[in-house]
Amino acid sequence: MNTLMLQQQSLLDALFARPGSPQAAGAVHHLNTWIEPRASRGLMAYQANGHALAERCLPAAYPVVAQLIGQDSVHALARDLWHRHPPVGGDLAQWGDALPAFLSDNEQLAEARYLADVARVEWALHRAASAPDAEADLPSFGRLSTEDPESLTLWLVPGTALIPSDWPVVSLVTAHTSGEPTLAEAGQRVRDRVGETAVVWRQGWRPSVAACPANAFGLLRALQRGAALTEALGEAPADFDFSDWLTQAVHSGLVLGVADATPPPPKTPHTEETP
Amino acid sequence: MTAAEPSLQTHEVAPVGIGWRHPHHAELLQRQPALDFIEVHSENFFAPGGAARAVLRQGREHYDVSLHGVGLSLGSAAGIDAAHLDQLAALVAEIEPVRVSDHACFARGSLSSQPEHAVHAVDLLPTPFTHEALDAMCANVQRVQDRLRRPIAVENLSAYVRWQVNELGEPEFLNLLARRTGCHLLVDVNNIFVNALNDRLQGSLQDPLGTCRGWLDAIEPGAVAELHLAGHVDCGDIVIDDHGSRVVPPVWSLYRHALERFGAVPTLIEWDTDVPDLQVLLDEAATARGYAGQTLGTAVA
Repeated sequence: MNTLMLQQQSLLDALFARPGSPQAAGAVHHLNTWIEPRASRGLMAYQANGHALAERCLPAAYPVVAQLIGQDSVHALARDLWHRHPPVGGDLAQWGDALPAFLSDNEQLAEARYLADVARVEWALHRAASAPDAEADLPSFGRLSTEDPESLTLWLVPGTALIPSDWPVVSLVTAHTSGEPTLAEAGQRVRDRVGETAVVWRQGWRPSVAACPANAFGLLRALQRGAALTEALGEAPADFDFSDWLTQAVHSGLVLGVADATPPPPKTPHTEETP
Repeated sequence: MTAAEPSLQTHEVAPVGIGWRHPHHAELLQRQPALDFIEVHSENFFAPGGAARAVLRQGREHYDVSLHGVGLSLGSAAGIDAAHLDQLAALVAEIEPVRVSDHACFARGSLSSQPEHAVHAVDLLPTPFTHEALDAMCANVQRVQDRLRRPIAVENLSAYVRWQVNELGEPEFLNLLARRTGCHLLVDVNNIFVNALNDRLQGSLQDPLGTCRGWLDAIEPGAVAELHLAGHVDCGDIVIDDHGSRVVPPVWSLYRHALERFGAVPTLIEWDTDVPDLQVLLDEAATARGYAGQTLGTAVA
């Protein structure tokens, strides 16, 4: 490691060490061997700017988590996450992906276990907002009546995510973003431990979330991995009304068209069936 | 190391632009005020899809765009983040900006507790003015220019800590950077003044304005591609370059000095904190045009 790397590492250590920790004191002591005296106010300015960025960005990506725990708590959470999981790139919109796992492991939030899954849904919404643009290819649906469904799949809009949960995550999110259901109803579903699977996708510019019907979950999960339509339909129950589901999925912008199915990976000696 | 082809434009009248921030996205597109260019922070438009990129495309239909980065970390001893450069290259290819710039700073490196993992401070941290740091910055700037196939402009910082080990003055460091890489310089007039005010607070200088004029006089004029103007806040024990208020009279005075030295250089009004009505930025831009007209003896549009 050359001198410049050591100098830069000493400043980064001083900025990302948890305030008040022994590591922070050691890092500042080490930095002081490199920088001019009376630099403590300047170092504080950089630390404060990092915290301000964290406090602004985390609630922007997780507005419902922020409402659920309150402004002071989400700011404290943002500062804590900043030190435990610092940004790895210069695009701050990508920082914060560690929050769901961080919430899962947080003992202080043990009575609000649903928070981690709410955060997973919100991160999926955050990612969907900046997913690649794509327009529906309506003529491609004609392939459904002319080609072998073994070779076709449905093209989901970029940014689509499926998040199963033991908690009413969709109700919790939409109660805070659209008022439907009411907060009281969402609270009751939490107490009743109603599990919901969230499907996240982008309608135009708007990231959207809805509860995935139980009978469509297997189908959607298969389509996400590019499975052939016949295989995907095999994941749905026998009485599944595919025609009705497809009409709604196209109308909502979840399904954009029909595409070639992803060929299955070649079989390896370990997975080859015995004749 | 191959220097990029110089392509510094000369202007008869200093082009003036404003930073185009989220609160003004819709209003600027609706009003389309007379501006020579608009400036955006590159990283805010890195996502390949979504509303932000679409808005920038609309802005580009009406204005020249200056892409100003805050995250390349040109001074990093750990080098440039390849993914970051890929995203910038894609944005540059689509938007075809009039200028591309970033800062003479570092933000990317590793922590001693996790030396194998890169972190990014998402801030403009000062790098020492040493020959080793110059070599690192030259290599990084060259890599960016080779990838973008165009020169970039590199901006001087407001720095809140100073390294003991400096071997070069800041203007000398920047001049050498420009000479060795063919990059341009982006001179932030407010940053020079903020540094001088903080040095006065530390007791290391008496005459901030005189020091700033000397700083400007030490910069080689042929390399300067853009000037930045902004406000700052005096916290009593430190002055912060917060881009949250109007340009102060001493900085306007330094701006006139810069114009006399560098000529009709494109000038940006930056405002990033407590962003006011669009008209306030347009008024500041008109003031810059007025000073440029007076200083350079050209008609004000």
